[in-house]
Amino acid sequence: MTATFSLWHKHMRKFFRNPEAAFGMLLQPILWVVLFGVGMQAMLGRSGSVSLSAGGAGSYIGFMVPGIILFSALSGAVSGGATLLDERLRGIIKEYLVAPIPRYSILLANALSTVTKGLFQAGIILVLALFFGSRVALNPLGWLGGLLIVGLYGLGIAGLALAVAARVNSTLGYHGLIALDLPLLFASNALYPIDILPGWMQWVARFNPTTYAIDAMRWLVYGIRYEGQANIWLSSGIVVGFAVLGMLLAVRAFRGEIKQRGGAI
Amino acid sequence: MTEIIQARQLTKRYPGDVLAVDQLDLTVEAGTIYALLGPNGAGKTTTIAMLTTLLQPTSGQATVAGFDVVNQPSEVRRRIGVTFQEIVLDQDLKGREVLDYHGQLYGLPHSQRAQQIEALLRLVELEEAADRLVKTYSGGMKRRLELARGLLTAPDVLFLDEPTQGLDPQNRSRVWDYLRALREEQGLTILLTTHYMEEAESLANQVGIIDHGKLVTEGQPEALAAQLGADVIRVSGSGPVDSFVTRLKQLDYVQQVHATDGVLQIGVDDGHHRLAQVVTLATEADFHIEDVSVARPSLADVFLKVTGRALRDA
Repeated sequence: MTATFSLWHKHMRKFFRNPEAAFGMLLQPILWVVLFGVGMQAMLGRSGSVSLSAGGAGSYIGFMVPGIILFSALSGAVSGGATLLDERLRGIIKEYLVAPIPRYSILLANALSTVTKGLFQAGIILVLALFFGSRVALNPLGWLGGLLIVGLYGLGIAGLALAVAARVNSTLGYHGLIALDLPLLFASNALYPIDILPGWMQWVARFNPTTYAIDAMRWLVYGIRYEGQANIWLSSGIVVGFAVLGMLLAVRAFRGEIKQRGGAI
Repeated sequence: MTEIIQARQLTKRYPGDVLAVDQLDLTVEAGTIYALLGPNGAGKTTTIAMLTTLLQPTSGQATVAGFDVVNQPSEVRRRIGVTFQEIVLDQDLKGREVLDYHGQLYGLPHSQRAQQIEALLRLVELEEAADRLVKTYSGGMKRRLELARGLLTAPDVLFLDEPTQGLDPQNRSRVWDYLRALREEQGLTILLTTHYMEEAESLANQVGIIDHGKLVTEGQPEALAAQLGADVIRVSGSGPVDSFVTRLKQLDYVQQVHATDGVLQIGVDDGHHRLAQVVTLATEADFHIEDVSVARPSLADVFLKVTGRALRDA
């Protein structure tokens, strides 16, 4: 476990030492909220169509905040995977493999640094959205619960990104596969309520863990209930399952790659 | 003396039927420097990878510091330090941080870590650069930092894969000095791979010549070279080699003759004085000489003799 902490600490230190990375982490959510959110809100009007104001989120911005938060976590997961790939390609990972540390700590440390960054961004976005008129529930437990959902979702997608990063052999290959991450956001109820989508897409959204994470966050952070929203325990359970599944996939891919090239676990 | 590294019939076959290491037997005594000498592609890196638990052998077995590399990898890892052929440092960390994180991964407690880091920065003369980012270091400084990292945990065995590759002569002899001092003062065991003959001659108590995945010969550098004779006259050319060789062997001062591909290595007692007669004999045998030289026998000559190829051209 201490190995996980040491490697996590190293990732975080390198991240904060790089001003462009830290700046980019702040800029992206700001752009989503300020530019996209404001524009959409203007298009829909303050109250908008009934379902879009999601019964009390106050505005489109409030409606889309959970999706923006999760998307930021997703971008963080992509760059976390890129870090692992870089360490593999440049041989830095050999230092880890030759050290007396458990293999999973290499992946866990990376995933946890993604989660940490995601939580930072979540905090910033929530506060920023407040200034733009979203109304949050005044229950601090709700906020904590929401952050927990963000953390678990982050683990899940970090796991997926790491699984890809563990197996590909080039940066181009990685980014090619990872481009498939945007659909996770679009095929969910992040940007629009699920019932306006065509039938086939509703099906896809129902199988997308993002949808449940968003349902849970809206329930917890904004205290809102709406039609079609999944039960909070179901949503939470699915997000937990997603986290576990994502990390298991990462571990499996990592070990598989080592075995495949004749390495020792 | 205890045998701190033992490999028996170590073999590595990659998918696609590439035999990188072929039934290698290796023994290294504690407190010695062993150099695995061979050209690029000979299997040196693969051998080190197996001994440092990075690679799973296809067959055979090995123990390092008393533990089996396949069945007890964690125990082996705890007791070894490794540097790799490529520089594998985190460019965005300071030198001191690189060492600190490394120490954490090996479970070195904080105060011990700090002490060791200072001592090693002093050894490799990087005290001033320690708080700068690694990306500002020169190639020589990076190699020295890697050496410090390998030594941080006071390992029983240090594995070095091509430790001075790409270094200028000044940095190279500095590294050699550190390694010799470590062996003399701390009884550290070092297994290094190299394709530089001077490195093996200069550092090693024991040399193993490896080619095409096989350990071809083994011994002390002076002893191996002495087998060739006190001096070696190298003659390259074309013509009736056998006739020339027969004449040479009749001379009582010729200790041995080895001919490969138009290059003859003639072991004699005194190269400079015997040279004239050797040349005369060549003419008598109708052997056309293109190049001739006289030198003390070196490991390159040993390599040529046992593998039939030149170390540099291989």
